[in-house]
Formats: sequence, structure tokens, C-alpha cells
Amino acid sequence: MSKAVPQSVTQLIEAFSRLPGVGPKTASRLTYYLLRAPDEMTQTLAAALVDLKTKTRYCSVCFNITEDDPCPICADSGRDATQVVVVEEPLDVLAVERTGAYQGRYHVLHGAISPVEGIGPEDLKIRELVERVQKEGVLEVIVATNPGMEGDATAMYLQRQLAPTGVKTTRLARGLPTGGDLEYVDSITLLRALQGRHEI
Amino acid sequence: MRIEHLSLQNFRNYARLEISLPEGPILLHGANAQGKTSLLEAIYYLATSRSPYTTSDRQLINWNADQDLLPFAKIGAEVVTTSRALNRIEITLTEANGGLNGARLNKEIRVNGVSRRVMDLIGQINVVMFLPQDMALIEGAPAERRRYMNVTLCQTDAEYCQALATFDKVLTQRNALLRRIADSDGSPDELAFWDDQLTESGAVLVAGRQRLLRELEVKARQIHRDLSGNEEDLELCYQPGFMPTANNTGQLSFDVLGLDLNRQLDAGAIAGQFRERLGETVGEEIARGMTLIGPQRDELRLLFNGHDLGLYGSRGQTRTAVMALKLAELEWMRDVVGEWPILLLDEVIAELDAARRAYLLDRIDGANQVLLTTTEPEIFTAEFLQRATRWEVRQGQIVTVSPASS
Repeated sequence: MSKAVPQSVTQLIEAFSRLPGVGPKTASRLTYYLLRAPDEMTQTLAAALVDLKTKTRYCSVCFNITEDDPCPICADSGRDATQVVVVEEPLDVLAVERTGAYQGRYHVLHGAISPVEGIGPEDLKIRELVERVQKEGVLEVIVATNPGMEGDATAMYLQRQLAPTGVKTTRLARGLPTGGDLEYVDSITLLRALQGRHEI
Repeated sequence: MRIEHLSLQNFRNYARLEISLPEGPILLHGANAQGKTSLLEAIYYLATSRSPYTTSDRQLINWNADQDLLPFAKIGAEVVTTSRALNRIEITLTEANGGLNGARLNKEIRVNGVSRRVMDLIGQINVVMFLPQDMALIEGAPAERRRYMNVTLCQTDAEYCQALATFDKVLTQRNALLRRIADSDGSPDELAFWDDQLTESGAVLVAGRQRLLRELEVKARQIHRDLSGNEEDLELCYQPGFMPTANNTGQLSFDVLGLDLNRQLDAGAIAGQFRERLGETVGEEIARGMTLIGPQRDELRLLFNGHDLGLYGSRGQTRTAVMALKLAELEWMRDVVGEWPILLLDEVIAELDAARRAYLLDRIDGANQVLLTTTEPEIFTAEFLQRATRWEVRQGQIVTVSPASS
């Protein structure tokens, strides 16, 4: 970047462009926007960024990101502790929560098994899940990893690890999207939907 | 099946081309490096989404377009089949700025204006291409023959195509895991899932290849007899990479597993055997950090009168066998698809003697559309030249069009 741009501006542009989905142009635009914005706004943003790392941690029970330990979901006695949905990422918790239909608890693995990326079972919170199932009287583990090869590998590994505990292990059904058009659905999805059909 | 209209934009040395294609033979002539082959390549690319000449799609974009802000290439065709109405197929390659990872190439496929995946291209256009480098099918490395089987089957069999994609992904993951286990970073009980996927998808590949080769062999043998004057017997010998061979002779010892390759095997039986063999090999696989058996090591040998053509065949015998194989492929595809595929012949005619040239042209006479390239149109008979539409190609343009006179 040219010398006409002060160091502190360049620094922020570079910091922004390291973020996912942000290119050099957006980074410059954000930076110059903040430059002109009221002090209060930049200070709030800065404080929020600091809090993001200092105030959050993993929930010691479910490993979701939280400010309080245990997290609000794990602390909520109104939620069913005998059911656990296992997801890959914290954002997946939000997705399941949005359905409004689930009243149990969660377990966040923080990834899926992928040898190519160097992620093995010991890099995920799998051991912690097995311990949790053994100790906490969980009756059903609902595996909600992504329906791809890595998610399937993780699901199968989980199933094998959980089998000795005798807990009921289920996997989310896969099939047709609501509001979709049958003729535009790809054949694998349709095949899975056909295999997973149920009586009405 | 035939292409009614072809449009190219920034494809190889074509800056822009819009042309209607008639039925019957189309002879592309002109000096070297003018764009004859690129036209065939464009059609092949639309059918298979890959080039027969290069593995890097970036090379397909016209280099003058590199100066543009967003370099791109666009290939489109309107295809008419005997059974279905007109379909419009379009592939766009766009150079996209990939941020830290450098430039990426985006490939967008549209069928009748709707964005589709590569898998959905299957069966939209079927082509059979004859190339001088087809000789590598016999003389080249085993990977050439696996590629040949893959490309042929992927054009007609969506299940095979799917299994191939899965298999490649699983193989990469499994090899990475084997290396991790070798480095004591993982444990062998993590293999179970990848073993299941590998043997399941691998078995579909083996079954598909076996079926293809059995069907090709019947046709190729007959054609080969015609070509060689009934003297030699051509055999396609499939050697699945998961089966043990006797003392590395390359000869299969079928009885070891009780599998009979002369009968069509079903994927279920193959998966079971493959799985069993995988269990025996896993120790060595961990030690070497890679998957040692499976369709990634399949081999296909062509034998004439029991002798291996790749090892003992003369240049002439090899050429005859390749021609028999390609013509068999053409008829196989016609039978499977239910209509003639589009034929692309790149410079092969010039390499044949008069008798074989006549045989080849006679054999492909039923096709709806044949595109041939040549630098010397004189080698064709007057009768053929009369039937053919002739296009002269010069510097990425079709400069003269001489319609068929009959």
C-alpha cells in the first residue's frame, strides 16, 4: 500500500481482509467508514472484539461457546437432559434451536473427522461425549453431523464408540427439502429419501 | 444425436464463433494450428466437462482474454436427439480472484438455462472421439486405460460416475489416515468407515468396468477379425487391482478367490471379496502409508492370439487393435444410449491405409453427425467429399463453407 495511507489505516485494512468473505475492497470500505464514524461506534466495536475472546469460553458440559459456565442451555433445568443432539459446529446449535421443536441438550464436537485435514477423533470432543453419556444418564444421542462424507465418518465413529454404553443412537433423517420440486432434486437425495420413507 | 448449433467465446484460439452444423460428415480442413482440433475439443468438453488434451481447464481460455479484467470462456451447443426435443447446453469458465489462494477457475454448467452440476451433464451429449494418441491405450501406462474406462462409462452410467467421485474422495482420506496411523497419530479402528466406503464404491467401479469390457470384447473381436482378415483373435483381459495375481506374472489366479471373471459379477459379491482382501493387506498398507489394492490399480491388457499387445505387438497390430476397440466403443455406446453418438475423428484418417480408411468410413456411415479434421482433404474419395460439408479453418475462424453437394 502507498505511503499516502497512514500505517494505522493500512493495519486495519489488512486485518479486515484476513476475515472470511472480505476482500481488499470491502476491507478498505469498512476501514474508511469507521474512520468517519463517531468515536463511540469504534469504541463499542473494539470493546466487543476484546470481549469476544476474553469473556467467552467452552461450556464444560456441551462445549458450546458461552459466557457463563455451564451455558444457558445446559443450566436450564426445564430442558431434557436425557436427549443430546451432537453437532459439528456451534452455529449448528443455533440451526437446531431455530426449529423450536427440540427441548433436549447439545454436544458440540468442533469439527468432523477428516484425515486429509489432519483431524482425527482425538481432535474432537468425542471422548467427552462418551464420558457424558456414561455419567449423566443420557438415553438418546441424536447425531446431527453434516450429511457429507466427513460427517458420515464422524457419525459412524460415534456410533461405534457409543455402542458399549448401550445408549440409543440415532441419526437425522435425510431427504427432500420442504417446498422443493421433486423433478429438480438430485438423484442421490431422492434415493436417500426413498430409502428413508415412512408410513403416513 | 447431433449438434445443431455451436457457439464458442474465448475458447482456445476462437475469439468468437457462431455456426450451425448440418447432418452427416463435416470435414474440417486447413493448415496446422488453425483451430480444427479445438472445435472437436469444444464438443468433447460439452459432453464430458473435460478436455481430451489437457487436465488444466485454464488452458482452454483464449490467451488474448487473459488481458481482460475477468477472463472467461464460454462453450454452448444446441443438441437434438432422436427421442427428445432440443436441449441447450452451456459451460462457462470464469477466472475468479480467489483472494489468498490466488486465482480460481469457476465452471458453470447450464442445461436449458438452468444451472446444473457436472453429474447432470451425463447423457446430454454422447461422443466417441478417435485420436492419434489413442495408441497410448495399448502402449501407455495403466492409468491411460483406467481413464479410458472411466470416461466411457461416465458418459452413460450416472451410478458409475457417482461411485468414481466417491471413490476418489475416500481414497484420498483413507491414504491420509493410513499415513496418520503410520505416524501413530491415529488408530486402525478409525479405518472401518473408510473401508466400507472404499469397498462399496470400488465394487461399483469393478462391476462397471467388467461389464463394459465383456460387452466391448464381443464387438471388438468381430471388428478385429474383419480388419485383420480373420487371422487374429483379440481379447480384452481385465485385471482388477484388488485381486491377487500369481507370482507377479500379471496373470490372475482366479481360483484364489473363487471369482470367475468370465461371468458377470455383481457389486455386492465384489465388495465382499474386496473387503476380505483389504483386511489381509491392511498391515502392509499402514507400513507404506497408502492403499495398496483396489480399482486405482486396475489394469486392462489387450491380447491377440494370447499374446500381450502392449509387450509384443507391432505398431501395425497395435493400430488395428485400437481401431477395433474404438469402433467397438462406438457401437457399444449406440446400443446403450439407443442412438448414434456424435463422432469426432482427429487426424486419424491420414494414418490409415486405403482399405482401413474405407472400412472405417463405411462402419460409421450410420452416424447422424461426424466431425473429421485433416490437413489433406485429397486423401478422401470423391464420393465422400461430395457427401461431406467442408469447412476451411483459418486462425480461429471458419473461412469457407462448402455444403454437401448431394
